Amino acid sequence: MSKIKAENLNVYYGSKQALFDVSIDIAEKEVTALIGPSGCGKSTFLRCLNRMNDVIEICRVEGSIKMDNLELNSRKLDVVRLRENVGMVFQKPNPFPKTIYENVAYGPTIHGIAQSKEEMDQIVEKSLKKAALWNEVKDRLDEIGTGLSGGQQQRLCIARAISVSPEVILMDEPCSALDPIATAQIEELIDDLKKEVTIVIVTHSMSQAARVSQKTGFFHLGKLIEFGPTDKIFKNPDNQQTQDYITGRFG
Amino acid sequence: MNSFKKNLLKKRYNAERRFQWYGKIAIGLALSFLAVFMFQIFSKGYSAFQKTWIVTEVHYDKELLLIDAESPSKDDLENADYYDVAYKAMTSLDPGLPEEEDRQLIQMVSYKYETEVKDLLLKNPDFLGKIVPIKLTASDDVDQVHKGNYPRDIPEKNRRVNDYQLQIYDMLNERGDILSEFNISFFTSPDSREAELAGIASSFMGTVFSILVCLAFSFPIAVLAAIYLEEFAPKNKFTDFIEVNINNLAAVPSIVFGLLGLGVLLAVFNLPRSTPLVGGITLSLMTLPTIIIAARASLKAVPPSIREAALAMGASNMQTTMHHTVPLSMPGTLSGTIIGLAQALGETAPLILIGMVAFVNTIPGTPVDPAASLPVQIYIWSESAERGFVEKVSACIMVLLAFLILMNLAAQIVRHKFEKKWS
Repeated sequence: MSKIKAENLNVYYGSKQALFDVSIDIAEKEVTALIGPSGCGKSTFLRCLNRMNDVIEICRVEGSIKMDNLELNSRKLDVVRLRENVGMVFQKPNPFPKTIYENVAYGPTIHGIAQSKEEMDQIVEKSLKKAALWNEVKDRLDEIGTGLSGGQQQRLCIARAISVSPEVILMDEPCSALDPIATAQIEELIDDLKKEVTIVIVTHSMSQAARVSQKTGFFHLGKLIEFGPTDKIFKNPDNQQTQDYITGRFG
Repeated sequence: MNSFKKNLLKKRYNAERRFQWYGKIAIGLALSFLAVFMFQIFSKGYSAFQKTWIVTEVHYDKELLLIDAESPSKDDLENADYYDVAYKAMTSLDPGLPEEEDRQLIQMVSYKYETEVKDLLLKNPDFLGKIVPIKLTASDDVDQVHKGNYPRDIPEKNRRVNDYQLQIYDMLNERGDILSEFNISFFTSPDSREAELAGIASSFMGTVFSILVCLAFSFPIAVLAAIYLEEFAPKNKFTDFIEVNINNLAAVPSIVFGLLGLGVLLAVFNLPRSTPLVGGITLSLMTLPTIIIAARASLKAVPPSIREAALAMGASNMQTTMHHTVPLSMPGTLSGTIIGLAQALGETAPLILIGMVAFVNTIPGTPVDPAASLPVQIYIWSESAERGFVEKVSACIMVLLAFLILMNLAAQIVRHKFEKKWS
């Protein structure tokens, strides 16, 4: 079933066009990987899905993105509600310089999700458990989140993102700053999360895309060159450019 | 390694060594200037923290005090006539002196000696009718002689202490009746025309009130302006123009702000002259740009990843700013504020223009009482001719420096203690 549907999406940074007529259909409760060389527009596309491009003043988005028939590229859209539904995990772990507890509780607090302290405690525990971090931090929830290791910080950011039970989670190269063990933990986590959440992940690691995703899209120079089941993209792509990229001949 | 390469390597090492030496010399020069400055101030000023007393005996004679009552009440003591008693206390130092020369003895103590005689009896009513020893504040000239600041070898007619007074001083000194004690009244008394009585209480309180008023006006305005400019305002020509103006404002000479205070606060709004309220508002015009610039710099220093994290969680712009950016920028903002206030602390020119240079011999209790401030007090005293004020100037500078050091230390502590480290 389709969760997010983009049609003829064009994005401009000032006079420079970053995305050209991108149309894509992202399925519900699946992992969709976006691959491609640096500067090809993957992250730009990802940031359209939770309107993070709003922060960039010169950025202009044209075209249509629908999530469950709700038009995302509309002035009338309430971005606060949208971002409650669409969580995001960034390339560099960016926990708040607050306690581990406060990091996870921040979303539920501002969105008024928990009615009581007990409920909040439960949400924090549940989120940290889902992010496979609970056992490591349960005795030191009042320590500062930025004091954790890189991999733990990234899992904390994932816990923070899922604390408000979003329907979609966007991941922008979540493992690029992590060692292989931490990467494996995050990938396992992604596999678990997809039972409940739709995940869109941007990655530079071909093997990661192959391991975690069901669908893969290949971007090049702002265009979506090819999009399809991961198996097909990696074994038998239709497009020569895709073939060249995944076999490492360019990019 | 061939010789060319060897030579090159040696040159590079030498260049680095030379550069380090330049740095060391520069630091050495700066430190030695500071040392000379400090030595000047301390060597001149430390004696101001000592006060000289002349010890003599006073006879609280009921007749001379014009007290009739058998057991006089507090009021009787309060209203008694102390003139003769005090006079006698001084002239008794040299009973052989002809009456018309008495003034020479009286001049050796401060003109307030009569009050001191009175205060001692009020404190100890049972001294009535008795002969008791009393400490009287020495006049500034005797004080300076005692501290060795007054050359005794200049001709008598050029000296404010004549030979006879020196003779009495030497006699008293030999008897141990000249006392040197810590000068509490320097800190508790307001300004005075007499150097031996002058203190910094009024100017110190004036400075404290001015700084508080300055903080109350400049901090909220500056922080709000900085937050709006940095976090909310669109980046366009107009905001660029505002930015240029703020930076310009920081470089405007302080006397111009003094004129503004004079022309607007005093002339248009009719605020009370010579008060810390007006002084503080005038100073806040100066600290405003400093705090805005510091606050903007520390807001800019908050990593964008923190803002993105908050926005991506669905926080509004306002929540992102108030929950994350502003708290994280506070250490920098606060230390910038303290440094701005420290600058304001040393400002003299604008305060002179708004009338805080007036002679104030009361201690201000509120920001709307007339007051001086420490730097203005330095200016006032340095203009005074009496020798006794020379050490006061240096002592006042020392107090101001101590104040400044404390504030800068506070800025450092705030910066280090509350600074957060991100990932």
